[in-house]
Amino acid sequence: MSMFTRKMRMLTAVVLEKDRDNVVKALLEKGVMEFVHIDSLPADKMHKLSAHSSEVPKAVLSDMRIRVETLMREGGIRIPELDKKDIEELPKLDIDDYRRTLDKLTLSLQSVRDNQKAINQDINSISEIIRYAEEKKEEYLDLRVGVNTHGSSSDLLQRLKMVGGIFLFDRKPFISLTLRRDSQRITDAMDKFGWTESTDADAQKSAEGEAVAAAKAWIESSKSDLDKLSKDAALKIGERESELRSMWISLRIHELCEHVESYFSYTKNTTLFSGWVPEDDSESVESIIYSVTGGRCIVEWTNADEVPREEVPVEMTSPKIFRPFERMVQNYSTPEYGSINPTPFTAIAYLCMFALMFADLGQGFILLLVGIIGTSIYKKNPMKKDGIISRYLCNLLLYLGPASMFGGLLFGSCFGFSLIPALWFNFDAVVEGETVGGIIQDIYDILGITIRFGIIVIFLGLVLNWINLIRKRRFYELIFDKNGLVGGALYALGIWFAWGFVGSGYKTFPSSWFMMPVLVSALVIILLKEPVGFVIKKVRKEDAGSIGHLVMSTIMEFLVEVLEIFSSFLSNTLSFMRVAGLGIAHASLMAAFYDMADMPGNIIAKILIMILGNVLVIVLEGLSAGIQSLRLNYYEFFTKYFTGHGIAFRPVGLRSKVVSD
Amino acid sequence: MGRVSDYSFINAKLRARIGIMHDPQLVDSMIKAPSLTEAVAKLDGTRYQQLSEVYRATGDLQQVELALLESEIANYREVMGYLPQSSSSFVSVLLEKVEIDNIKNAIRLWYSANVMHHSISYRSAYIYKSLIVHPINYDAIINAGTYSDLAAAFHGTPYSGVLSAFTFDSLAASGLFPLEIALDHKWFSDLESAIGKLSGKDRQIAEAIYSVDVDLKNILMITRYSYSYHLDAEHLASVIIPMGYIAKEIERRKAALSDDPVAVIREIIAFRYPQIIEEIAHIRRTSDDLTTVEENNREIVRIEEYLGERRKKEYNRILTGDPFTIGVVLSYFFICSSEESVIRAVLSGKYYRWSEDKIRERLGL
Repeated sequence: MSMFTRKMRMLTAVVLEKDRDNVVKALLEKGVMEFVHIDSLPADKMHKLSAHSSEVPKAVLSDMRIRVETLMREGGIRIPELDKKDIEELPKLDIDDYRRTLDKLTLSLQSVRDNQKAINQDINSISEIIRYAEEKKEEYLDLRVGVNTHGSSSDLLQRLKMVGGIFLFDRKPFISLTLRRDSQRITDAMDKFGWTESTDADAQKSAEGEAVAAAKAWIESSKSDLDKLSKDAALKIGERESELRSMWISLRIHELCEHVESYFSYTKNTTLFSGWVPEDDSESVESIIYSVTGGRCIVEWTNADEVPREEVPVEMTSPKIFRPFERMVQNYSTPEYGSINPTPFTAIAYLCMFALMFADLGQGFILLLVGIIGTSIYKKNPMKKDGIISRYLCNLLLYLGPASMFGGLLFGSCFGFSLIPALWFNFDAVVEGETVGGIIQDIYDILGITIRFGIIVIFLGLVLNWINLIRKRRFYELIFDKNGLVGGALYALGIWFAWGFVGSGYKTFPSSWFMMPVLVSALVIILLKEPVGFVIKKVRKEDAGSIGHLVMSTIMEFLVEVLEIFSSFLSNTLSFMRVAGLGIAHASLMAAFYDMADMPGNIIAKILIMILGNVLVIVLEGLSAGIQSLRLNYYEFFTKYFTGHGIAFRPVGLRSKVVSD
Repeated sequence: MGRVSDYSFINAKLRARIGIMHDPQLVDSMIKAPSLTEAVAKLDGTRYQQLSEVYRATGDLQQVELALLESEIANYREVMGYLPQSSSSFVSVLLEKVEIDNIKNAIRLWYSANVMHHSISYRSAYIYKSLIVHPINYDAIINAGTYSDLAAAFHGTPYSGVLSAFTFDSLAASGLFPLEIALDHKWFSDLESAIGKLSGKDRQIAEAIYSVDVDLKNILMITRYSYSYHLDAEHLASVIIPMGYIAKEIERRKAALSDDPVAVIREIIAFRYPQIIEEIAHIRRTSDDLTTVEENNREIVRIEEYLGERRKKEYNRILTGDPFTIGVVLSYFFICSSEESVIRAVLSGKYYRWSEDKIRERLGL
């Protein structure tokens, strides 16, 4: 792991046209190169290069790959992951054949759906009759019990079925239960077969019940047919799994090759391409190119410092253990190339904040359990969609649970009870106003701890910013910026001043020999910011503006900067009081549930209330602590050193998720 | 303070939803899908996932449309629950439009069975039968044996008056169009009075949106009508929604209308909506008010596109303006209904195996 973003180098290579395919496959397999379009060559050289022309356009490959993926998902087939073997055994691309196969499969799937539709319509039709019968809406029903006097009963049944209804023709007299709105059509059909109504009163009486019972049984069996058809559709696709997988692999690899080749430029016999590679992979990439071309190539490297910093892609290399926090950083933005990787600092700060806000051994253990169970469920069901407790959250809980447990051990809290001796001090007892020994006596002392913690975090942010600025050789900002040395000096002075004031019991302001010199020098430096900037611009022959403008901007900048330094550092520091606030709220809520549990005087009720209380606190307080920790990182910590001006490094390889032009 | 407390929660909630709703890639991928099954599968993992589940379980597109309607109604109800009384009543009137469309579908089934003597068998299952706004007995509508049974099914509902103005014979002679127009007019009249009950800024916003809506719907009506009939004052009066600028101007120039209705109407439209007249002039090859089917269809599509564009602009403007008004609610419903109607149209296009181009043309994409 490097403390800074990964070092990059830009490769430019010329290979023979005949070696192109091998080079592409080898680079895809390696998967460490982010390709760039060659558009920085002089115009006279550029026009000699021709763009890539493909046999099958990438859009066609992408569309067909998506089509295969759709069918695979429909059949519950997992999308495969490409590996080296797939490139070596790559089947020949036959788009027309693929299209025919997919069309055939879709057609058979559609015929299953059509069957389902027909059954569903029959179910709908019969369900309406059953509903009316059950709701005693006899006025909408037409019940007939009788026999046909001529013609075939099966022909009559066919005719009646065309109208729709429940027909019991496996007994005599026959039963026909239809909708009254269809009675004319039923009468017409029956008249043709000489229908005669039965005079058997018992048969007439029981007919509706029998018809409804038979219809219900039919609906049950139809629903299971429907269900079976639905599963059949997935099975039909499942039967073609290997075909679909190999089709997908072929399409995907060709699509990736097309993507890579779209960055290539060509002369008559050669291929030219360029891209960013992490410095530690550069040797292996170079040797791959040499090896697949048999040495028939020219490879040139450009170091990242020869290119404008904002054009160099950025990759953070954090150890696997910090991965969930890397995502937090990426959600905020991509750091600038060459700057400090914020991930480890974010991880430590986040976990400390969470542990202070949600300190409970038992509840932390529950979080850990949820994390472990969730992770294993997702591992067992890779196709499972993320729920409210997503994969990422489960992963994060594996860290937050132990952090919370550690907090619980420090403060002696377990499910809101002081069951274990506190390693540091009993947080719950302090919140409840009980006298405890040691330096922490009341909640003001807890607030003091979190303010100290905030000062450490803010100073850490400032130091990281100074390191970044030194590395980027931005000395002007290092000295004059509010997050630079001058801002740090004023912040340190402010802390010293506030500490002295609080230490005196809010009675006297501290004084020392260094106070005035530091304050005055810092203010002078802020005042000089604009004039020094003016001189630098003049030296660099940039537009520096007029002297009048300089005077005005010096005064305005001075006022705004001083105001901003004082207000922002003060608010940033006080913002950390929320850490104590959340911790106190956590302890108070648990105490409230503890009191409530004692009220019923019943052990079962007590246990239930405590369980409910714990669940509520875990969900609400846990969420709150998670969000507040993130907020403190983003707004109080990152703003000190994280510029977020970088562009993420997206190498193209066999496992690239997205391929965009 | 009142408006802020009334709308702060719903504004935040709906904006968050709007933020994740608009996904042009979804529609594009559905259009590109070579079959209906594949088009429906694209809904997986979106807020319409339930529709693909219904389709997988039944294979029935009409069942999918019913599920879409159910979720649309649930959406209106949910939003109403977060609004203050006056705005909630207004949204209830908007939901009445969904109810009227549902009633029209039920009456069409009745008409099919009783006037056209066609079997409606399973089709009644696709009518939403639960309460939307008013307690309507849809079973009674669908199963009515006579027109008086049909009208009786509406007793005690606000639609009773509309139904009683028609007879079996009149519907048999002129079709359902006049009845449907009358139901629409009833809704627009309810809408007008509901807008009047809104307070200050909400009323301004609703008036601005619906006055243009009504005008464009009237223009559409005139365009549609001009294909079938020579325009005359009497026919016009019966189809025009009596709201908005176009209706008021037609009423004001009633006398002039009998001489040369086409010229008068063109003048009225040109004054407020010159772009529409220009577009129609491009489409028509003759100056006659009687157009060919193809010309008429193209005109209708173009006016609908214009209406869609106007609405889109207006709702975008609202979304960037004052957040504590009913505007965000109306914008949300507009975005929902636009997206839903696009999805409906794409699925039905896929069902009829239309080409990608034809679907895009129909959608004005």
